[in-house]
Formats: sequence, structure tokens, C-alpha cells
Amino acid sequence: MITLLKNAKVIDPAHHKDGVVQDIYIRDGRIIAKPADSEKIGQVHDLNGKIVMAGAIDMHSHIGGGKVNIARMLLPEYQAMRKLDEPEAHICGANCSHHATPNTTDTGMRYIEMGYTAAFEPAILAVNARQAHMEMGDTPMIDKGGYAMLGNDDYLLRLLSQNADQKTINDYVAWTLHATQTIGIKVVNPGGISAFKFNERRQDLDQQHSYYHITPRRILQALSRAVNEIGIAKPLHVHCNNLGVAGNFQTTLDTMGASDGLPMHLTHIQFHSYGTEGDKKFSSAAANIAEAINSNKHITADVGQILFGQTVTASGDNMMQHLNAKVANPKKSVIMDIECDAGCGVVPFKYRDENYVNALQWAIGLEVFLSVDDPWRVFLTTDHPNGAPFTSYPHLIRLLMDKTFRNDAFDKLNLDAQAMSNLKSLDREYSLYEIATMTRSAPAKLIGLQDRGHLGIGAAADITVYTDQADKEAMFAKPDLVFKDGELVVKEGKVVKVVWGATHTAKPSFDVGVEKDIKQYFDRYHTMQMNNFKISNDQIAEDGRNHVINHTQGS
Amino acid sequence: MTNQQDIMHACPACGLLCDDISGDAIARQQFSCGKAAKFYARVSAGAAPAVGGRAASLTEAVKAAAALLKQASAPLVAGSSTDVHGARALVSLSHATGAAMTHINASSTLRNMKVLQHRGWQTTTLTEVRNRADVILMIGTDVVSHNTRFFERVVWVDEAMFTEPAARKIIYLGGDKLNTKPGVAPDGRAPEVIACASESLPEVVATLRALVMGKPVTAETVAGVAVGSLKSLADTLKTAKYATLVWVSKDLHYAHAELTIENMTETVVALNQKSRAMGLSMGGSDGDTSVNYAHTWLNGVIIDAPEWESHDAVVWVNSYSPNAMPPAGIAPVIVLGAPDSTFDTAPAVFIPVATPGLDCNGQQFRVDGSVTLPLTAAKPSDLPTLSQVVALIEAQLKGDLA
Repeated sequence: MITLLKNAKVIDPAHHKDGVVQDIYIRDGRIIAKPADSEKIGQVHDLNGKIVMAGAIDMHSHIGGGKVNIARMLLPEYQAMRKLDEPEAHICGANCSHHATPNTTDTGMRYIEMGYTAAFEPAILAVNARQAHMEMGDTPMIDKGGYAMLGNDDYLLRLLSQNADQKTINDYVAWTLHATQTIGIKVVNPGGISAFKFNERRQDLDQQHSYYHITPRRILQALSRAVNEIGIAKPLHVHCNNLGVAGNFQTTLDTMGASDGLPMHLTHIQFHSYGTEGDKKFSSAAANIAEAINSNKHITADVGQILFGQTVTASGDNMMQHLNAKVANPKKSVIMDIECDAGCGVVPFKYRDENYVNALQWAIGLEVFLSVDDPWRVFLTTDHPNGAPFTSYPHLIRLLMDKTFRNDAFDKLNLDAQAMSNLKSLDREYSLYEIATMTRSAPAKLIGLQDRGHLGIGAAADITVYTDQADKEAMFAKPDLVFKDGELVVKEGKVVKVVWGATHTAKPSFDVGVEKDIKQYFDRYHTMQMNNFKISNDQIAEDGRNHVINHTQGS
Repeated sequence: MTNQQDIMHACPACGLLCDDISGDAIARQQFSCGKAAKFYARVSAGAAPAVGGRAASLTEAVKAAAALLKQASAPLVAGSSTDVHGARALVSLSHATGAAMTHINASSTLRNMKVLQHRGWQTTTLTEVRNRADVILMIGTDVVSHNTRFFERVVWVDEAMFTEPAARKIIYLGGDKLNTKPGVAPDGRAPEVIACASESLPEVVATLRALVMGKPVTAETVAGVAVGSLKSLADTLKTAKYATLVWVSKDLHYAHAELTIENMTETVVALNQKSRAMGLSMGGSDGDTSVNYAHTWLNGVIIDAPEWESHDAVVWVNSYSPNAMPPAGIAPVIVLGAPDSTFDTAPAVFIPVATPGLDCNGQQFRVDGSVTLPLTAAKPSDLPTLSQVVALIEAQLKGDLA
């Protein structure tokens, strides 16, 4: 059956289309060229010039895995006081303790209702990948995928400390992508999570790891090169050392140089853009960071905007979360060392606009957004749920698109924070084209999803239809229509059909000989068999709902 | 790619989930663990559905179950002894019938969850312990009553990356009828035992925490335990490279035992200000971790404890505990469970389902929570899975409602 979207006002940056009115034809889940007149059109939606974009792609959102599930457990006091008439109640009803930590069903439902058709879990502990995929498998409506964490696993650190050759590292990285069914590689506080297990409390970029005698810079070099040489699209996803520390912007600037010019993505960069100026020794270094992004073309970044309210932060960075636990609100936290592979730290936070640091964090994120010139290299994220829940994206989009709205919000901030931010001097307002770039075309290109994030012939028909409105929050909160793989699944912001999406992976070729040493490592030191570490396509598809879409990338 | 004889099975008989069980060991019934031996000796053949104690077809049994659930005004899904797939099916059934859901181990699970939800904690996992722990303190437990091969697989191993396994210091603090023999080092070195009854642990552990925190303690003994020995224990923990404090919530079966657990985990928090230590919650059975976790991601909240008296029908799942039944007096009971279930009183409906890891494949969480292992059918059978039976009941309910 062919579906026709008539008179669509297309915003498709991948094809340089900015408001071109055209017809879109869909067959078998794909966008097709205009069929012959003789072909029957099964379904016609006359859009009368409504805005049409590809489905949005969240390239960094904690939607599944051990720490996300711990976060779901951590605020039972909110569960007891939930009121089903509060504004956030639609997010997860009674079936969650707090709207920042929705269950898997509500996660999928809320994403698709906002016109998002894919989300990528950015911190899959390799040893915990099976759980992450189970949770994502139970997340309906959207496509999923993830980045596997390396760089604190003892296997890689041993290789590096033994001066293993790059080929061995490349094979191990590729093997990990296969074993964990992921599409990218992430490193969190390179070397730091491991160092914490040896009772270190900070790990700087050029500081030797106390046991392995290698630096985080060396880890970044090895992994960025591996990712580049095995030919996957997604650049190394980097959560820098010194998360959240005043003065950490210098670490972030130095990290940009650690890959020797190879592509790197610096994630939730807002949390890594802090200076030490002012009476409170905490200031915005957003200008330095944005300038460096602008001039370093090999660097991309997502922001990790904070928005005010209660949330639960969930990070692989147990070293820094152990420090952050002192400012937990409510006062509790879960810190874990995990399987000589990684760690995690789950800490509830309440971001308040009257608090100096929180207010400045809010401003810093927006300063980065507005000061980075190229929307292809800066991505719209709140590091869900760490800066704010993903359900606040429409509000964030309005802050970017509406200067008056933004400045009104700024005027309500802690006054000392206002004095330390240049946000009001930034006149930029994002256009719809730029929003479409940073939420569609750019993430698809970054991750290497050739047939997503755009509306060209042959693309998957993940399509969102909006009514253009002055209030951009209202516009992006409730699309008129959403199509997932060609099926109409959302009408007037409500799900009309439940679908399950797929799991996107990248599995570059590698020398399987590497497995001999990996197996020996498992047999000598682990508490599970190597074969049980590996996840098969069948296990992803276990109950017939999910399936793997593998992307052949690079050469 | 996988050769059938090469398959190593993961054993779901306890939370340790040893995944080195060869097909050959199962065929010969050779195990170093009594729980595994008992599990793999189970026989599924000959089981058939029954309604009111009389043999019935699967269709008849499904119809009977659906009819009872339709009549019930407040059904309860309980037992829930299954794997992740089974847990998903039971959550789905609870949604379809408006049932509450709990687990056979809910009370011991909640002891831990109360601590996690109230204060949080700092914990580790088995491979970290295997490679790092130089001091292992077991509080109120010998672990091996629950996880037979704990010392074999985690403690007295041949090699570790960051410590000398044979030199580990093993300490038992309190508990009843402990089997401390597995704590003897390979060279015959005996473990340290600081004896006290389980019921005294609240005071003793609170004192240990105070000593670790550097608080003044003036008493000479606490619940019969010399404060001097606790002081030296605190020093041992503080000077350890990676102290591991182990507990089994099922062994702390006195009122408000969660407060004892909190004192253990807060001792870890205090130690981590200057040195490194971690907690390790052991035990686990009947897929309790899997069911609680899956319940949490599917429903957004943890598993709850049963209030039997407020329910008027029970769906009982006992895949890993064929002898377990709900408390007497609650009726009707629909058992979707172990084919080798034994009943004093026949339930209203009995539908034997495949046991994951024995009759069918599955996925199960290990007790330390971060590792999930695939379960493979050690003795594949034709029994329907729990998911399949629940789907039939749900279809029947929908048909009835239509």
C-alpha cells in the first residue's frame, strides 16, 4: 500500500530543503519516488503546508541498563506523593516513582509522542549489555541502540600497559561491538573509574594511572584510533575526566587534542565547561569551549543541558559521582564497582534556579548552544535523566528559538549567577532548519544511520508532522502526526498504534584470533564464561518483537 | 557455531548462577554443589494440566484459570519463581487482570530494597571481589548455605589480578549455625570468627560502624562481644586494600533487619572516605533479582510484599521451588509452575510450565545484579513456557470480555 503525504512543507537539512512544499510517498516503510499514475494510493494525508521533518533521533539518553533501573528505584518518597493532576503526571502516571525515571513503556510512548523515532543509550557497560538490551527491548515505539563503554576495563588497560599493538586493540574494540550489539564506543572518565578502585579520587588527563602507569590521554588515543581504523561511523564518545569540577574546562580543551585530530565526540559538555573565576570560584567557561569547538573541526559535542527540578543522575563515572554524592538531594546515592569492567554512580539531584551553581549550569548549557556556530556539530541533549528528563526537550527547543522567552527565564535566576553569564548578550535564535539539523540530520550522520534522519528517496519513513506555531514548546510537544517505518503511530500527540522498533548495530570485520586471548582472560580472572558475555541476534529478537539492523559503515 | 557438547549451562538453582555446568556433568550427575545436583535431577516428564485435581487438557485448564481470574475482584500474582521472560509475562498478566504482583522472596528482597531506597549503598560484584578483595567480612552468614560454590568460584581461586587469593583474610561476624569450613584457606589457615547470635547483630554492627567512624565507644563488651575484637576488626577493614562486607538478607530474619544492613552499608560508606571497601549482597534464589528488576523497568517501581488476606485469587508460579505453595487458606490457587510440583491440597488449576534452564532457554540475573546470563535448556522438553501459557490465558480473557 502506498501512503501519500500531500503538500508537506519539508525541512530536511540532509537535502538542504528548508520549507519546500512537496508530496511524500511511502511504501513498505520506505520513502519512494512519485509512483506511476496507474499505481493505487491507499492512504492520503493532505497536510496543507504543515511542517514535515524526519523523526528525531536522541543520540544520548540513558534509557536502559543497570544504573537506569537503579535510578528508577531511588525515589520512592515521590511515588507516595505523586498527584495525578500535576503537570508531569502524563509522563508516567502511577507507574513510576518520579517522572525523571519513567518505565520502559512510558519511555517509548513519550518519545514517539514528541516525534522522536530513535534513542541511543550512551553508556552500556559491556558486561551489563544484556540487561540494557532487555530494557530497550521492552521500550516500544522507537528504534534503539547503544555505545559500549571501554577504557576502564582491565582487559584494555592491561593491553595498553603491555604496549599491545594497535591492531590488537582494534580487534578487541570490534569484538566488543559484536559481543555487546552496540553501534559506538564510549569512554567515561578514561582510566578514572579503574583508578577509583585503587583508591584514587581524581584522574587528570596526563596523570599516570597509579597501577597501570598509562595516562587517560593514551587511552583516548588508542580508542579514537581504533574506532577510526575499524571504520565505524560514530566517533569515540568521550565523557571527559573531571566531570562537574570547577576549572575542568581546561581538561576539556586538552582532551580535544588527545585524538591527534581524529574525530571525537565530547558528551554532556555543559558539565565540563566550568571555570574558577568569581567570588564563588565557579564560573562559565562556555565561551572558551564554544570557541574551541568552532575551531576544532574534528570535535562534535552534545550539551547535556540542565533544567530546573528534581532528577536522578545516573553515570558510569563512579569516581566523580562518589564526590557528587555529598550534594545528593534527597541525600542518598548508589555507587558500584562492576566486574573489572566499569562502575556506576546514581545520585539524585534537585536543580534549583535560586542556587548559584545550578543557575549558572543552566546558563552555561545555553551559552554553549548559542555560541557553537555549526548545528551539525552540537547536539540537543539533556543527558536524560542527568540534566533533565528527555520530556523537557520541547521547553529546551523554545529556549533556543525564542530569545524573549529565554531572557525572561534568565531574569528569574540567582542574581549572582546572572552577573556571571553573558547569556543575555547572545541574540541568536535557532531556526527550525537548525533544530532539524541538530535533532535529525546530524545525529543520523554522526551515528552512521544512512537511511534515517532525512526524507530522501529510500529513507526509512520515520516522519514527524508539526503545525508551525509561535510557541515552539507547544509545537514540539505535540506533533500532529508521527509515522514509524511508514505506519501512522501518533495522531494529535497520542499513540494510535503500538510498534516495537529495532536495535541498530555496527559490526565491523575483525580478526577472530583476538578471541583466544580474551577467552584466556575470562578463564583466568572472570566469574562468567566468555561465550555468555556475547549477545546473539536471536537473543535480541528473543520474543519476536525486536530485531537487529546492522549498518555496514566505512570502507 | 556452538557445538552442542561445548555448551556450558548456567545453573539457576541459586543466585550465584555458576555458568560452568557441562552437559557431561549433568548426564553423569556430578556436581560440587547439592543445589545443582537437586536441580538437574528434576524430572518434567509425565506432568499434565489439572483442574480441581483431575487431569485436564491445556485448553480446559486455561479456560478454568481465565474464568477464576475473571471472577476475582482482587487477584494476586505470587511466587513468581521464574526468569526474566517469565517476569515479563507475569507483569503483563497482572496488567490484564488488575492483579497485584509479588515474589516468594519479597520479604528478604525488601530488606535490601529499604536500605537502597532510604540511603543508597556502595556495592561491588563477584569479579571485582575475585580479583581485588584482600579482606572478606561475612556478617550474619556463611554464604555457602545459600551459594555453595562462593569460595570455590570467587575466593580461593588460582589467580587474581590485584591480590594473592590464598592470602585473603576471611572473617565471620555473628550468625547462627555457620559452616565456616569453606573459609579455611588452601594452606589450612583458619578464618577469624567473632561469634554472636543473629539477634545481637543490630548492636554489634552498630558498634562496628561507630568504631570505623572513629566515634568513642566506652563499653567493654556489646552483646557479649569484646569491643576490643571489634576495634581490631575496624582497623583491619580500614587498612585493607579492598575490604568486602558480605551479607545475605535472608539470614537476617529478625524485625527491622534492614537497619542492620544499613549499618553495614554505612560502614562501607565511612570506609570509602579514606580507603576502599564495598558491600556485597549474596544469596538470591527463585529468580528474585530478575523479577524485581524486570518489575522495576516495566512498572517503574520495585516488587511489593504480599498482603494475602486482601486477595481473592492467586496465580502461583514455583518454577525453582516445586514444593512451595502459598499460605494455606487462600483460594482459589492457580499454579502455573513446576511440572514436579507437590501438593498437599490440589490447587483449583494446575498448568505445568517449562522451567528455564532445565526444560527451556531463558535469561536470569545473578545476585550481584550487574550480570545477566542466558539459561539453556539442559533437558529440553515439550512443556509450554510460562509466557506461552500466560498468553493463552490473556487471549481467553480477551475473548471472554469481547
